[in-house]
Amino acid sequence: MQQAPAKKKKKIRVPRVVNGVETMVEIEIDDEGGPGWGANDKHALLNHHLRRVDGPLKVSGIAEYTYDKRAPGMLYGRLLRSPHAHARVLKIDVTAAQRMSGVKAVISITDKPTQDASAAIVNFAGEPVAAVAADTPEIAGDAIRAIKVDYEVLPHVVRADDALKEGAPKVYPEGNLEQRDSQGFATKVAAAWDKCDVVLEAEYRTPIVHHSCLETHGHMVDYRGGDTATVYASTQGTFTIPGDAAKELGLMESNVTAIVEHMGGGFGSKFGIGIEGALACRLAKQAKAPVKLMLTRQDEFLLAGNRSGSWQKFKAGVNKDGTLVAFQALQYQLGGLGDGSQAGQPYIYNAANRYRERFAIHTNEDSSRAMRAPGHPQASYAIECLMDDLAYKIGMDPVEFRKKNLTDKVYHRQLDRGAREIGWDRRNQTPGSANGPLKRGMGCGIGTWGGGGGPQCKVDVTIARDGSVMVAVGTQDLGTGTRTYTRAIVAEELGLQLTDVIEKIGNSTLGAANASGGSTTSASLAPAVKVAANKARMAMAEQLAPLLGSVKPEEITFGNGNVTGGGKSLSWRQAAAALPSAGVNARGEWRADLAASGVHGVCFAEVEVDVETGRVRPIKMVHVQDIGLPLNRLATESQINGGMIQSLGMALWEGRVMDAKLGIQLNPGFGDYKLPGCAEMPELVAIIDDEDKREAVIGVGEPSIIPSVGALANAVFNACGVRVHDLPLTPDKILMALTNGRTTA
Amino acid sequence: MTDDSNEDKEKGAAAGGSYDASRRRFLKGVGIAGAGAAFADHLLADTQAAEAQANGRASSVAGTVEINLEINGQKRSVRVEPRTTLLNTLRNHLDPPLTGPKLVCDMGTCGACTVLLEDKPVYSCLVLAVDAVGKKITTVEGLGSAEKPNAVQNAFVEKDALMCGFCTPGFVTTISAYLKKNPNPNLQDVREACKGNFCRCGTYPRVFAAALAAAQAQTGHD
Repeated sequence: MQQAPAKKKKKIRVPRVVNGVETMVEIEIDDEGGPGWGANDKHALLNHHLRRVDGPLKVSGIAEYTYDKRAPGMLYGRLLRSPHAHARVLKIDVTAAQRMSGVKAVISITDKPTQDASAAIVNFAGEPVAAVAADTPEIAGDAIRAIKVDYEVLPHVVRADDALKEGAPKVYPEGNLEQRDSQGFATKVAAAWDKCDVVLEAEYRTPIVHHSCLETHGHMVDYRGGDTATVYASTQGTFTIPGDAAKELGLMESNVTAIVEHMGGGFGSKFGIGIEGALACRLAKQAKAPVKLMLTRQDEFLLAGNRSGSWQKFKAGVNKDGTLVAFQALQYQLGGLGDGSQAGQPYIYNAANRYRERFAIHTNEDSSRAMRAPGHPQASYAIECLMDDLAYKIGMDPVEFRKKNLTDKVYHRQLDRGAREIGWDRRNQTPGSANGPLKRGMGCGIGTWGGGGGPQCKVDVTIARDGSVMVAVGTQDLGTGTRTYTRAIVAEELGLQLTDVIEKIGNSTLGAANASGGSTTSASLAPAVKVAANKARMAMAEQLAPLLGSVKPEEITFGNGNVTGGGKSLSWRQAAAALPSAGVNARGEWRADLAASGVHGVCFAEVEVDVETGRVRPIKMVHVQDIGLPLNRLATESQINGGMIQSLGMALWEGRVMDAKLGIQLNPGFGDYKLPGCAEMPELVAIIDDEDKREAVIGVGEPSIIPSVGALANAVFNACGVRVHDLPLTPDKILMALTNGRTTA
Repeated sequence: MTDDSNEDKEKGAAAGGSYDASRRRFLKGVGIAGAGAAFADHLLADTQAAEAQANGRASSVAGTVEINLEINGQKRSVRVEPRTTLLNTLRNHLDPPLTGPKLVCDMGTCGACTVLLEDKPVYSCLVLAVDAVGKKITTVEGLGSAEKPNAVQNAFVEKDALMCGFCTPGFVTTISAYLKKNPNPNLQDVREACKGNFCRCGTYPRVFAAALAAAQAQTGHD
């Protein structure tokens, strides 16, 4: 038997999301060539402004989300949460709830007598202790209120500072402080301080912030007994659902179908079925009826994850020429019961001597989850503040100071572009020096992200004899435009328009796809779509070549709705009609050369600070982002806007507020947790950095939120001349800093 | 407990009540006892809530009432508890349902549940269904369709004023009503008009652009 020639292999690093935590893993892949994307400025559809194909459904209210699902006999699920941050559940009495008319299932954490005493311990305020399913949401609410729980309240700790105190209640038996890593040489750094012209120490804090997906976490579990179930899920990973759900329902994984037709935002918080999905499955199993359990808004704040807070202590030394000589950081990740995340400092900057340590501080709060660029906005914000403080201290232009300590020239190019766009020359040379009570200022910040794709998607393209084209893959569209570019890639390859192709996604019975984490969706999916479309095109060309005369299949061109070759041209419909009755089917998988990873991004911001009230008004933000081949410029710009807007929230308004004594969150709702709104919107300029000539797909979801938090904080500093060291930059803190600044001046 | 025995007795009992959808009045009305209590005087006769409360069983305000609503030009009858919000009625009790308006904050801050009541935008999570009897209700589905969008819906697609789309029905409804009131708004007017709606994906600048484009398209055609 003849052995096939060994395929060329190459090793690449790809991001994987496991339990909502992103890790990089090295994998080996086939290194095979094939048709590339071609030059970025030579596309017929891609890299153009394409209207979202699901737009018409969404604007008319008929796009069906998990929240909108209904089925005959469907019940509404609801959770009962612990009001205590730390407690032992002694007894749960559900009899009154069970007796209520319309209540069909009740479960609690004490249902199963267990040897494991820890099962009856709640570790944060908001942890579910019971769940009900009832005929209406109103009755489900009544039933929750009718459940009586006896708790033995245990000592808790919900603030990082308190968690480090001697004798603090222990969140884990091993303690509240857990070292994550250390990097660099502490002794070299210690020896370097004397050689620096200026040494600065500073610390920065960012609070826990919330994903605030408008569609809360939840599922509609359509199970009525028997061997099969369908689970409608508001998730970032269609394929993260069936396995989890099957386990809870006691079914075979392949007998559970997950459906994610449309979903109302995830931002990193929606992987797997979670506790709410597990409870929905158990309720459905008990009631033998479909159950829809969507978290309430309060549930969402209290138990559905968050962006970990941060507390970072820096010491840095520079020379008068602007060289960062020595840098030391102590980084605390504040992820509650979870580890949290934080990019290692000094982030993107060079420092000849550097040392850092990272720790997780645990508190009695729900575990943090991945949130749009996990760990990066926190790290970028803090280091960008420090860089500005250092620059002003040695009297150097903050942009020039950054360039001095960045070897990658892409940053230089992007800084120049952003500075031009915002009018950097207009900034205050001396922070706070503008006249009058309304002071304007400017700042900048920088970010980086890996992204990249991996071989996880299997895409099917079908061309039917009537000319209809379908592209099918189980992936999900989070609002990022997956549906649109999936269609566009196929349409472009076949020389058709967007409306000539339909996409079928969001179903676990279709070809596999990765979960949307780490900005890996487009870089994993788009190459597989391209390969599938190209294979379908070649299969069609093979069929048509004899009809067109003396032409090789690879010489046949597809464009403007025509198939042309051998001096003849067929309309698309004519060409398709010549196919065999089954049409043409092709499956495509990922190819490494069609994707890339590694992006840069800079943001410039201008704000106005009212030094009499402490109020900050954002005026303008500019974000410059490289992205390789932008699949759809319109959606890409929208996503960059979205990144800027979410970072506005983190910089100026958002933050979980905990009551240390009671151990509860004081602002678990949109009335008290301030999201960016219409009134505060500055002018936003999203710039795709077209000088990036990589003919490869890279995701843009995460990079766009990173640099702007620091840019805004620096703009506030440049405006009013005082530095506030913890986010959000609310009026009280700014006034306090101004007062203190005055007294010390 | 639900009570089906006297279901037809007081159809549209709340129709005569004066309507004021302001949030303040609503919250005042809700007081301590929950939304149902504010309207109990209309509907006690029709429910067993009175009995439940008299017995000191405050666990539920039970009993249902059949009401007729005029939604998107159609008469729809539906059986709900008096405490049921208009939003939950549209989404969970009507059959077939109208799920364009979304439940997001459940407290009248985010605008995702916006519907028009007598052509005025209201948060349907703060309106009781029984209080919408006799009023003209318009949801996003009644403004246009995927095939025949109104000017605002059309502009939203053109300008990419949506991403995940969960806030979109609320914005579309708010802006459609606003442009009737002010056909020639400037950017500042549009911002003001949309202040009661939240988006998390960050579509605001394009929502504003869509509103202005829709205004231009409408006045152009007039």
